[in-house]
Amino acid sequence: MAEVQTIENVACGFCGLGCDDLAVEVEGRAIRARAPVCPEAARLLRRIDVPDPVARVAGEEAGPTDAARVAHQILAAARSPLIGGFGADMAGAGALVDLAIRFGGVLDHYASDGLFRNYAAAQRTGWLSTTLAEVRNRCDVLLVVGDDPAATWGRLFERLFPATPLFADQGRTVVFLGGAPGEKASAQLAGASIVHHASADPVAALEALGSLVAGRRPPGESFGGIGAEALAALAEKLRNAHYAVVTWNAAELDDGDLVAERATALVDTLNLSTRGGVFPLGGRDNIIGANQLLLWRLGYPFRTAVRGQASAHDGALFATQAALADADVLVWVSAFRPEPPPDLAAMNFTGKLIALAHPETVFDTEPDVLIPVGTPGVDHAGTVFRMDSIVSLPLGALRVATLPSVAEAVRRIAEG
Amino acid sequence: MRLRLKGGRVLDPANGENGVAAGAMRDIEIEDGRIVAPTGLKADAEYDLGGDVVMAGGIDLHSHIAGGKMNLARLLMQEDRRAFPEMPGNFCGCGGGRAVPTAHATGCRYAELGYTTVFEPAMLGANARGAHLEMADIPNLDTGAYLVLGNDDYFQRLLAAGAGQEQVNAYVGWMIEATQAFAIKIVNPGGINAFKFNARKMDLDEANPHYGVSPRKVLTTLIRAVTELGLPHPIHLHGCNLGVPGNDETTLATILATEGRRLHLTHLQFHSYGTEGDKRFSSSAARIAEMVNANPNISVDVGQVMFGQTVTASADYMSQYRNRGLASPKKSIGMDIELDAACGVVPFEYKDKSFVNALQWAIGLELFLLVEDPWRIFLTTDHPNGGSFTTYPHLIRLLMDRDFRNAQLATLNKAAQAHTLLAQITREYTLEEIAILTRAGPARILGLKDKGHLGPGAVADIAVHAEDADREAMFSAARLVFKGGRLIVKDGVVVELAQGTTHVARPDFDRSVDTDMQRWFDEAVGLKAQHFRVSDGELRNGAGPTILKCEGGAS
Ligand code: SF4
Ligand SMILES: [Zn+2]
Repeated sequence: MAEVQTIENVACGFCGLGCDDLAVEVEGRAIRARAPVCPEAARLLRRIDVPDPVARVAGEEAGPTDAARVAHQILAAARSPLIGGFGADMAGAGALVDLAIRFGGVLDHYASDGLFRNYAAAQRTGWLSTTLAEVRNRCDVLLVVGDDPAATWGRLFERLFPATPLFADQGRTVVFLGGAPGEKASAQLAGASIVHHASADPVAALEALGSLVAGRRPPGESFGGIGAEALAALAEKLRNAHYAVVTWNAAELDDGDLVAERATALVDTLNLSTRGGVFPLGGRDNIIGANQLLLWRLGYPFRTAVRGQASAHDGALFATQAALADADVLVWVSAFRPEPPPDLAAMNFTGKLIALAHPETVFDTEPDVLIPVGTPGVDHAGTVFRMDSIVSLPLGALRVATLPSVAEAVRRIAEG
Repeated sequence: MRLRLKGGRVLDPANGENGVAAGAMRDIEIEDGRIVAPTGLKADAEYDLGGDVVMAGGIDLHSHIAGGKMNLARLLMQEDRRAFPEMPGNFCGCGGGRAVPTAHATGCRYAELGYTTVFEPAMLGANARGAHLEMADIPNLDTGAYLVLGNDDYFQRLLAAGAGQEQVNAYVGWMIEATQAFAIKIVNPGGINAFKFNARKMDLDEANPHYGVSPRKVLTTLIRAVTELGLPHPIHLHGCNLGVPGNDETTLATILATEGRRLHLTHLQFHSYGTEGDKRFSSSAARIAEMVNANPNISVDVGQVMFGQTVTASADYMSQYRNRGLASPKKSIGMDIELDAACGVVPFEYKDKSFVNALQWAIGLELFLLVEDPWRIFLTTDHPNGGSFTTYPHLIRLLMDRDFRNAQLATLNKAAQAHTLLAQITREYTLEEIAILTRAGPARILGLKDKGHLGPGAVADIAVHAEDADREAMFSAARLVFKGGRLIVKDGVVVELAQGTTHVARPDFDRSVDTDMQRWFDEAVGLKAQHFRVSDGELRNGAGPTILKCEGGAS
C-alpha cells in the first residue's frame, strides 16, 4: 500500500480565483483535497487509483502515435478547423496557437461569453479596474451585481475579506444588488455588514445609481425594483467610500454587457472624487491566461481566426457557435474538467471531432480521435492566470503522469 | 562553427575603433557564437561586406515590449493591430501592430533595424511570471526587465516604520531574485501608492497621505540599496510629475537629491517642461541639459516624441489618470495592482500642428543635442509612449542631418517653432556617436561586458548597414544581422528566428528576510511567496536566464 502523503500550499487552477493554500492527500495515484478547499476544487482534484484510459480512433482503442497520426491527417485535410474548449495551461495554449498557425483555425474558449460581454465595455470606453490584493485590503464598500457569486467562486469572499485588512479596518460593507447572498457568502462575510437590495433588473438599478452618484436624481420612484431612497442612500455610501469596488459575473447575467458598461461608468464617476475599481469575475480553466497569450502572440483575444499567415478577429463570427457552422473539424480541448463539446448533432455539425479531453469526459458523439490528457496541477506542472489577468500561478504535479499534457499531445499531432 | 565577415568598416566605439572615419576595412571572425581574434582557419561561411558599416547589435535600454499593460494596450487598441497587419511574405507571418506589436512583430521589426537586445523597463512583481512568458515568445532578441519598486505597500511600510538600510537591501535583493529582474525602476516614486489613497499629485518632498513617506526618501533609499547590492544598472527613474508644466524644477531637484550617486533619468523629455510664455508651457531642455552635463553621475534617455498615433502605457496610473482627458481615441484603462503598483493605458496621437506636441518634439531633440556626453544619453522614444521604436531610423536622421531637422521643424506649429532654440543648434551627430547611443553606451550602463562591442569574447550580435547619406534609409533596413553568430536578417528581411536569452541580475542579500516575506504574502497579498517567486526554469521555455552575479559593497 502506498503511504498517504500530504502536500501543502497546492495552487488551484479551476475557477480563476487562484487559491494556493490547499492541502492535498496523495496516496499512490489517488488524490483527495482537504480543507481549505471549495466543493468544486474538491471534486475536480479527486482521483481514485484507476488506470488512465487510452486513446481511441473512431471508437477503437489506439496507441498514442496512431491517434496523433490520424489527428494530423484530419487537420492536414481540413478546410476550416475550429480549436475550441481551450481548457489548457499556458504551455498547452501556446501549442494550440502553434497548431492554428500550422493548419489554420479559429480559436475560442468554451467560457468566453462572459469575457466578451466585459470586453464590449472595456474596448468602447476602457475601464478602471483593480486586483484581488487591492480589494482585499482597501475595499470598504463592495457592490456585488447579479446572483451571489460564491456558488461559482467558492472561496471568493473569504479571499476578499480577510479578518485583518491593511487599510479597510473601519468597517466594510458588501451590498448585494440582485440575488440574495447564500449561507456560504454570509459566513465568509461575518466581519462585514451585508446589505441586500433584491432586483430583477440590475441594469436599470445600476443606471439610476450611476446618475445618483454623479449628483443627478433620475425621475422615478423605483429602479429595477429598488426604491429611489434606498438607491440614493447607496449612492451616498459609495461616494463616501475610500475605495469602492463593483463586481459581477458577466457570464451569468443576461445583460452582462450592459452591466459591465454601467458598472464601468459608475466606477468612472466615483474616481472623480474618491477611489475604486471594477473587479469583473471570470477566469475559469485558464481562459484569462490563454487569452493573454493570444493577445501577445496574435495581437487579438479569443475568437480569432488564423489563416494563411494572417489573423483576423471577430467577436461574433468567430465565437464557437457561429464558427461551428463553418468548420469542418473541431479540435476540442478540456484538460481541467470533463467539459464535453456543445451538442454537435443539434448544431448540424457533420465535420470531424478531435478531442484532447479530461479522461472522464462523456461524449454525445464519439470523437474521430480521442486523446485523454492529464490535468494541469494534478498530473503535470503548468502555469495558469488568475481572473485579474495580472497574477499567474505555477501549478505543481501531484502524481506521476501517465497521460500527456495538452502541449505534449498537440506536439505529437503536429509531428504526425 | 566559424564565420568570417570580410571587408567591413568596423565601428566599435567601445574599443576605440572607427573604420568609417579611417576608411579602413577588416574582417570579423566568429566562432561558436562569439567574436574571436582573426585566425587563418577555414570558415564554414563567409560574408563579403564590401566596405559596409559593421557595428555591434543595437541595445535598447528602455522599450515597453512585454507585460500586462502591453496586453491591455493591445486589447484597447485593436485599431493599431488592424492598421498594421502581418507583413506579406515576411518570415514570421505571425502578428502585426505598430504601437503595440505582437511578440513576433516586436522581435522581427527590431531585428530588421539591427537591434538584438531590448529591456522591458517596467515589470511589476505581481506580473513578473506573465512578463517572462511573453518575453520568451519574442524571437531574435535578448531581453531583460526592470522591476518596478517604491510604490509597493511592503516598501512604504518599511520606510514608515523607520527600517534600516540593511532591511531595505534584503527586501530589494529578495524581490530582484524572486521576479528574475535585471534592475530596479522607480515610477513616480510613491505617487502610484498615494493615488490609491486618493492623492492626485505628488511632489518630491510631499508626504504620502497614509505612510508619510516622501518621494525623495523613496528615491534616496533605493539608490543606496542598488548601490550597496552592487547592481550594475543604477536606479532607473521615471520621476514625479510626468508631463506637468513646471516639472523642470522637480527634475533639477531630483538630480541634486542624488548627492553624487548614480541615477538614470528615463524619458527625460517628459520631465523637462517649464511654465514660461503665454501658453504656460515651455522648454527647459537647456537648463536640464546643463545640469546633466555638470553631473557625471547622471545618465538619461530621451523618450522622443514622434508624430502620429500611438498608445501610452505606464505604471504611472496617477499621471495617466490625470492625462486621460487627452486620450485619442477617447478611451483609457487604469488598474490598481496587488499592493504593488498600477498601470494606465491611454491612446494618444501626437500632432505636428499642436503647440504642445510640436514643442515636446523639439524639447526631445534639444536634449539630444545639448547633452554633451554621448555615453550618458540613450536613444529612446519610450516605445510606445513617445512613438513606436520603428521610428528610430527617422529619429537618427533628425539627429545626424541638421538641414533635414530644420526642414521638419519649419512644418510644425508656428508658435512652437518660436518657443524652441532648435533651429540655432548646429550639432549633428556622427555615426560614431549614434553607435555609442544605440549600443556601446547602453551596454556600458547596463554592465553587459560581452555586448555592445566587437572585441574578442563579445557575443556575436552584429549589425551590418550599407552606408547611405540618407541616414533614415541607412538605418531602416540592416543589410545583415547576426544573433549569437546566426544570420537572422538579410537585406532588411528576417530570414530566421533565433531564441534569445533573458538577462537577470543576482545580488547577494540577507536571506533571513524570507520569513517576513512569507508572512507578508500570506496575510496581506493573499498569495504564497513561493508562488510569487519565478523559478529559473520558467524563463525562456526552460532554458533559464543569463545570470549576472553582482558584487555587493560598492558605493
Ligand atoms: S475557489 Fe476556485 S481557486 Fe479557490 S479552491 Fe475553489 S476552485 Fe480553486
Ligand atoms: Zn517607459
